[in-house]
Amino acid sequence: MLKYAFRRILGMIPMLFLISIVVFTLAKLMPGDSLSGEIDPRNTNPQYIAEMREKLGYNDPLPQQYFRWIGNFVEGEFGKSARYKIKVSDVIGERVPNTLLLGFTSILITYILAFFMGLYSGRKPYTLGDNLIGGLNYLGLSIPSFIAGVFAIFFFSFTLGWFPSNGSIDIGVTEGTAEYWLSRFHHVFLPAVVLGLLSTASYTQFLRNDIIENSRKDFVRTARAKGTPEKKIYNVHILRNSIIPLITFLGFDLVAIISGAIITETIFTYPGLGQLFLQSVGTRDYPVLMTLTMLFSFLTLIGNLVADVLYGVVDPRIRLD
Amino acid sequence: MQIATQKDTNIIKAPPQKSLSPWAMARKKFVKNRLAMISLIFLVIVAIISFLAPFITTADITKVNIGQMSLEPSGDHWLGTDKAGRDVFTRLLYGGRISLLVGMSCTLFVIVLGTMIGSIAGYFGGTVDSLLMRFTDFILNFPFLVFVIVINAILFGRVSGLWVLIGVISLLSWGGIARIVRSKILAEKENEYIIAAISIGCSPTKIIVKHLLPNVLSTIIVQATITFATMIVAESGLSFLGFGVPQEVPSWGNMLSSAIEPDVMQFKLWIWVPPAIIITITILSINFIGEGLKDAFNPKSRR
Repeated sequence: MLKYAFRRILGMIPMLFLISIVVFTLAKLMPGDSLSGEIDPRNTNPQYIAEMREKLGYNDPLPQQYFRWIGNFVEGEFGKSARYKIKVSDVIGERVPNTLLLGFTSILITYILAFFMGLYSGRKPYTLGDNLIGGLNYLGLSIPSFIAGVFAIFFFSFTLGWFPSNGSIDIGVTEGTAEYWLSRFHHVFLPAVVLGLLSTASYTQFLRNDIIENSRKDFVRTARAKGTPEKKIYNVHILRNSIIPLITFLGFDLVAIISGAIITETIFTYPGLGQLFLQSVGTRDYPVLMTLTMLFSFLTLIGNLVADVLYGVVDPRIRLD
Repeated sequence: MQIATQKDTNIIKAPPQKSLSPWAMARKKFVKNRLAMISLIFLVIVAIISFLAPFITTADITKVNIGQMSLEPSGDHWLGTDKAGRDVFTRLLYGGRISLLVGMSCTLFVIVLGTMIGSIAGYFGGTVDSLLMRFTDFILNFPFLVFVIVINAILFGRVSGLWVLIGVISLLSWGGIARIVRSKILAEKENEYIIAAISIGCSPTKIIVKHLLPNVLSTIIVQATITFATMIVAESGLSFLGFGVPQEVPSWGNMLSSAIEPDVMQFKLWIWVPPAIIITITILSINFIGEGLKDAFNPKSRR
């Protein structure tokens, strides 16, 4: 198993290298000095700009520029934000906890909802409750997250007033108190539900179908024959078998959260990485944009890797190839 | 069964009765699936009305009409007018045109590209396969939304327009189809009839096009339906964020983006609810059609 995981991780390195070349090329193609942020925009003296360009190495051959950039990148030196005039790592670091909280809450809500709905549907298939859950699932799979977000704000924020429609924290709450965390969760709940909608639907569907399939297997018949209570059969015998394949979804969740966060955070004006990404595109803050693109690509790569490795854990036959 | 009994009773007069081809069987099963048929009819109606939009309504979609800003639905304007005084119903029709066009073109490109790469990789195997599949992995590892937005930011102001968007979306999303087609071809090419075709000297192109592809076509059709839904979501999502179809062109996503303003969202429902509902119902019906097709092509399903 370890060998397999290790091989996968090694295979990731050339991919990361290729992606970094693509990101660098894209940055070079962008209008303006894509790696700038160091040049003072108020000083338009052409001589100053030429000097700075020379000093920052924009006149060097491209491969040299690339290796300097990637070298700095590996060392954690991402440059300076063109908009905020502070280090990119600080700009991003400020937003990371928000997005982490959003992603974590979303996964948690997904798991809890999907667990109970899938369990119920799988145990009582083709009943009214199952059909109801099935209908909800279809809606969850079909409704795009931005529409779900808009409707959620309309109903729960504006009409009912249950949740705030924007931001990540109430103004004037002191950090560290219980009230502070309550406010954070109050703000994060709605976007997290919207973000997790699609995966909730697919988790529920998967769990339901797997439970139904497992309930026809021989070990269930044996358990029934020796008089195990129905409750125990479902909650212990079947559940154990059905829950394992679900872990392979974890990697895809990571990937889904990245693109989901861009849309969800924008709708809810939640100050996370996704919103920062769109802002940096809008304000042409290239150092932030490039770093975030690399970060997102890296996380997608990790997500796919995790999915692959977990497949290997669940189904040992896959490891051979 | 039927043929046998007929032969018994009327052995000479009975015309030779053909059994149904797999396609006819699938069609029969699909037509019987009520949900899928209703969805298909709905989708066809939406498509026809959208594509005939210039003949149905005469209202101007581009002209800003200050005298008629944000009117509520009435006899004159069935769904009211938006903040620039344009008729929402008319824009919905024209928007459907764009959204469906983008969805269909992207699907076409993605399917063609994915099928080509997948079938070549699957049929030839070896080095070709591993090279093409590494390339596919490479494409699949890009976070789709992030890269579409970044590429759009680069192209902004140089070239813009519908076909650039379609190209960018298509180039970034054929990976999944290629993988599926490859795995199907890999399984299919082990059959005897392929070995026979090779032994009588068929060219690889002919084997792929004439023998292999028809046998994986059902999978490709189902995948195309799913892709169609995904592409409509991608287009409207990007337009909603302001990185899709140019702002002046009405599309369902562009129309929905006005809901970002709290005033519109709270008090001017007629501006954003119609596109939201039509997108959702369209995706839902495409999904039902996909499920219906999957069921129809599956010889094991009992329906």
